[in-house]
Amino acid sequence: MEETKQEKPIEQPKPVPKEPKENPIDRLVVSSSPHFSTEDNVHKIMHTVILALLPACAASIYFFGLNALFLIITCIVACMATEYAFQKIRSKPVTITDGSAIITGILLALTLPPSFPLYAAVLGSVVAIGLGKQIFGGLGYNIFNPALLGRAFLQAAYPVLITTWSEPLTKAAKQGIDAVSAATPLALMKFEHKITPHLDLLFGNTAGSLGETSAIAIILGGLYLRYKGYINWKMPLGYFGSIAVFGGIFWLVNPLKYPDPLFHMLAGGAMLGAWFMVTDMVTTPTTPIGQWIFVIVAGFLVVIIRLLGGLPEGVMYSILLMNAFTPLINRHTRPKVFGEGGQGGLTG
Amino acid sequence: MNKKVFKMILVLSLTGAVSGGILAKVFHFADPLIQENKRRELREAIFVVLPEAKDYQTIEKEINKEKITVYKGIDANGSSAGIAFIADGGGFQGNIRIMVGLNTDYLKLKGIKILEQNETPGLGNRIKEPEFEGQFKSLEIKPKVEYIKYRKPEKPNQIQAITGATISSDAVVKNINNAVEKVLKNFPSEEILK
Amino acid sequence: MAEYNLWHEFKKGLWQEIPPFRIALGMCPALAVTNSATNGIAMGLATFFVLLCANISVSAIRKIVPSQVRIATYVVIIALYVTVADMFLAAMFPPISKALGPYVPLIVVNCIILGRAEGFAQKHPIVPSIMDALGIGIGFTLSLALMGSIRELLGFGSILDIKLLGNWFEPWIIMILPAGAFFVFGFLVAIVNYLSSKKPAETHGH
Repeated sequence: MEETKQEKPIEQPKPVPKEPKENPIDRLVVSSSPHFSTEDNVHKIMHTVILALLPACAASIYFFGLNALFLIITCIVACMATEYAFQKIRSKPVTITDGSAIITGILLALTLPPSFPLYAAVLGSVVAIGLGKQIFGGLGYNIFNPALLGRAFLQAAYPVLITTWSEPLTKAAKQGIDAVSAATPLALMKFEHKITPHLDLLFGNTAGSLGETSAIAIILGGLYLRYKGYINWKMPLGYFGSIAVFGGIFWLVNPLKYPDPLFHMLAGGAMLGAWFMVTDMVTTPTTPIGQWIFVIVAGFLVVIIRLLGGLPEGVMYSILLMNAFTPLINRHTRPKVFGEGGQGGLTG
Repeated sequence: MNKKVFKMILVLSLTGAVSGGILAKVFHFADPLIQENKRRELREAIFVVLPEAKDYQTIEKEINKEKITVYKGIDANGSSAGIAFIADGGGFQGNIRIMVGLNTDYLKLKGIKILEQNETPGLGNRIKEPEFEGQFKSLEIKPKVEYIKYRKPEKPNQIQAITGATISSDAVVKNINNAVEKVLKNFPSEEILK
Repeated sequence: MAEYNLWHEFKKGLWQEIPPFRIALGMCPALAVTNSATNGIAMGLATFFVLLCANISVSAIRKIVPSQVRIATYVVIIALYVTVADMFLAAMFPPISKALGPYVPLIVVNCIILGRAEGFAQKHPIVPSIMDALGIGIGFTLSLALMGSIRELLGFGSILDIKLLGNWFEPWIIMILPAGAFFVFGFLVAIVNYLSSKKPAETHGH
């Protein structure tokens, strides 16, 4: 199955270049590809991503208080503990310090509602790392985005808890109440045809899961990652573009019934998904055409699920579904090797 | 060669005949029981939605090749205790079948009972809980039944939807409205309650 | 005539060839109707009944059925017993019949039954065939009961409708949905494989 093996240069262990010594024969290093490696490694990338997630975490703590902080810490600790336990049991090298489990923990926490019970968050973390990642063989082998898999499990296991939202503290304080149960902007749009103002969506002054609220905090983190060069510009832009185009078609057909494209981009998990989930190196296609297919279809699915499906939000399922298709997309969009015939090629 | 074919035909026919015979025997024994179970179930459902009824009468009509059945409840004095009918329609997953009881004045519901549903356990399937079903008792049907969210009903034709299960609540209301409309149109009260 | 170790024919269905974990047959009912322990046991017993009757019948007529029409004959026989079981449940236990829905008629195409008829009963005399059906049938019933119990415990907090977990437990709804069946099935297969890999004597058993 050599064809399905993907090249992920940045994740390969660096071949150690030998210092040239007296004997020129030593300069001839015989090794398998990749022959060039960058300064980047898993460690460094992961820690940069964590840094990029901090604004979103800070925003969630600002809007939802200590609940949000506890939730984030619980998820991180539970994810790292699960990773440790799995790797110990299977007598594999323990890699919890590489930061990938921390990212999964943060991302999972950011998809949960602020009042979510901590024991349930632990369950979600165990599923995310255990079933989402370690069972497939660890980082780099997982098919699905682990955080989203954990969240999908929780959605199916606790359908009531995971749809119990509360207003952000900033709003609740104004109304003089502690915590009020509320509907998310998408649910308001879907079931009561009320559109939340764009400015509230941008700053995060709405009900929703931790990372669904403040668009601006996520954009900050995303731009930092882009500046560092760790995400491919076409993934978030393609995803947004696709959501905007398909959402826009509905809007143009019936502007009274369907929300405008900007609302689609700012509301719900689209921001978090676009910057931190469709940009995941492991679970998305590696070929340029494949990446376009991935983001366009995923954006289409978001709009379809939001406007026509039974659920108010579709970002999670859109990405998970496309994750499942990633190996197939990779296989069929491989660039042709020079000289390869049109007929009966490797991909045919 | 012919003998082989003959044997094949013989064995298969014999197996079929013997099996058919056994089945006929079992059916003879089981069918009355199965029919009785179905009748009892229907009867119980009708008596739940028409609490005063002690007996019922089946009325069938064929309209546009569609068979519509209503059950007229009869109370202890022999007069009408309202009519019951089944509302069947799509839910969140699969169909929801509801027995609906209509008052003799044709203005209010007497009650409903969810007969079959495949809604999400713990969420949508709470439509079959007494708290939800009970809301339809004495609910006005003109104008149409409506649902509202997060608040107590304000008008006599409103019920409160289950939080988090708007789609299932909506489906129940829609199915009831459709069935009520069909019955009102095809079974005018003079005809039924004479 | 070969001597049969009847005890072995019985015992193999309980571990070495326990369906659906070791011989991966009959997975459709195992995944579809095990959302409660009661449903799992009822389905297991219905399959058990059909399996036992089918094994006896197939073994009894094994010498007169021409091999060209044997599958057709077996299917007719199996369909007979399935219909009997279906009608029996509908007449005597309507709630169970309703809960199992179309899965009782679908026992006809349960591979365990045709598999045992084709793989065992048509080659062996009646008594070993009965032992085989008893072992596999009980093994299948136990498997479904186990799956049903796990799913009911996690999904409702109860087993056989007896509340075991208190109010502190928030049920995992996913366990009584189809997805939960796949999780539980996967875990049980993994556990069974792990346990049997530790017993070297039985590893060559497939």
